[in-house]
Amino acid sequence: MTEQLDRRADTTRLQILRAASRQFARKSYSVVSLDDILADAEVTKGAMYFHFRSKHALASAIIDYRAAVARASVDQLLARKLSGLETLIDISYLVAVEDIGDETARAGLNLLESIGRTDGLQGDFLGQWVTAFAAIARKAVKDGDLVAHRDSEGIARLLVSMYLGLRQTSNLAEPERFLRDLENMWVLVLPGFVKPDRIDYLNEFIKRRTAVALKKAAPL
Amino acid sequence: MVRQARSETTRRKIITSAVELFNEIGYPATGLGDIIERAEMTKGALYYHFDSKESLATAIIEGGSVHLAEAFRSITASSAPALECIIHGVFVVADLMSTDQIARSGMQLLRAFGEFNEAAARTYGGWVAEMTERTRQAIDEGDLRGDLDAQAVAETIVGSMLGAELLANAATAGADVMQRVARTWRVLLPAIVSKESLAYFDEFLARESMRHSPAPVAD
Repeated sequence: MTEQLDRRADTTRLQILRAASRQFARKSYSVVSLDDILADAEVTKGAMYFHFRSKHALASAIIDYRAAVARASVDQLLARKLSGLETLIDISYLVAVEDIGDETARAGLNLLESIGRTDGLQGDFLGQWVTAFAAIARKAVKDGDLVAHRDSEGIARLLVSMYLGLRQTSNLAEPERFLRDLENMWVLVLPGFVKPDRIDYLNEFIKRRTAVALKKAAPL
Repeated sequence: MVRQARSETTRRKIITSAVELFNEIGYPATGLGDIIERAEMTKGALYYHFDSKESLATAIIEGGSVHLAEAFRSITASSAPALECIIHGVFVVADLMSTDQIARSGMQLLRAFGEFNEAAARTYGGWVAEMTERTRQAIDEGDLRGDLDAQAVAETIVGSMLGAELLANAATAGADVMQRVARTWRVLLPAIVSKESLAYFDEFLARESMRHSPAPVAD
């Protein structure tokens, strides 16, 4: 009996998270009101406060939820056993396509930028992202794609910074522009750590990813 | 519910024991009595699940085929271009052949039964159908030549992969299957890949083979 109640509570929680994401994906944190979320989620105020004591708690929960989803996606990509560098490229395109079209993804990254800094949330989430990328970069060294003695953690931090910066300097509401900007960044950055004889191939690999992503990306 | 779970465990144990014996002493030499002994089961328990050695073989063929199909599909479900998925998927499946006992046994039984077992016809047919969907996509995407027939290409790929596996088993008990798969693709690529994409796929194949080769990368 309690199992049924727990399951119902889980569904309500997720319902609230999704409704909140719909708001946070499109409006800045300060402007979003809990009443808007309540109306969208079709839950009672009591149900809302049972799960989330404040707007901030709700925002943190979205970030945590996205972190878990992201970890699962990365594991799935790693399981495909492509080379390290190809995996890093695939991850960045996956993140981009979701950022463009998935409300929880967009909300999660928006929130990370707006409230993440104050509680160290940003540090945790981004720290994990960098660590995961660094491990894959070390694999890329073993694959023979990277120039020797390049700092894996530095490369990882560069790639994460690259993506987060692109969210500011490009426009997620224009998928084609965003994906081409992502492609350009990769092409510019590769010569910094990739062996020269691999670059032509990887440039082509990146262009093909853009082509595939363009087909999949549907804006919010 | 519990009875179902126990029954499933028994079935799996029978299959595992049968696979071990078929690998150790071969299908013809293995009797149902041997399987019963290996599985530490009663005659009744075995006959509840399988009424003959052949139905057991069919189950192994189908089980093995499902493992391979799932592995292939997990690669081709990705959002990468179709021909990349085909090549990468084939390598992943070839790799699975050396680690997954049921898949391995299933393949051997397939070859043994080929002409006499419906499961074989269904299995090969299924693989060709799946591959044809991918080759059609690859033609649409411009990586395979536009004048090719998708099914003919699919049959060529499936046929030559099965052939590579057959020759590897005969020559080196399966040890060099990856190299043979890579060599087969080197021959195939210029025949089927579009002019614009050929250089890229030569490199793609080289990288794939390198990842599966035993020698570590120096530098």
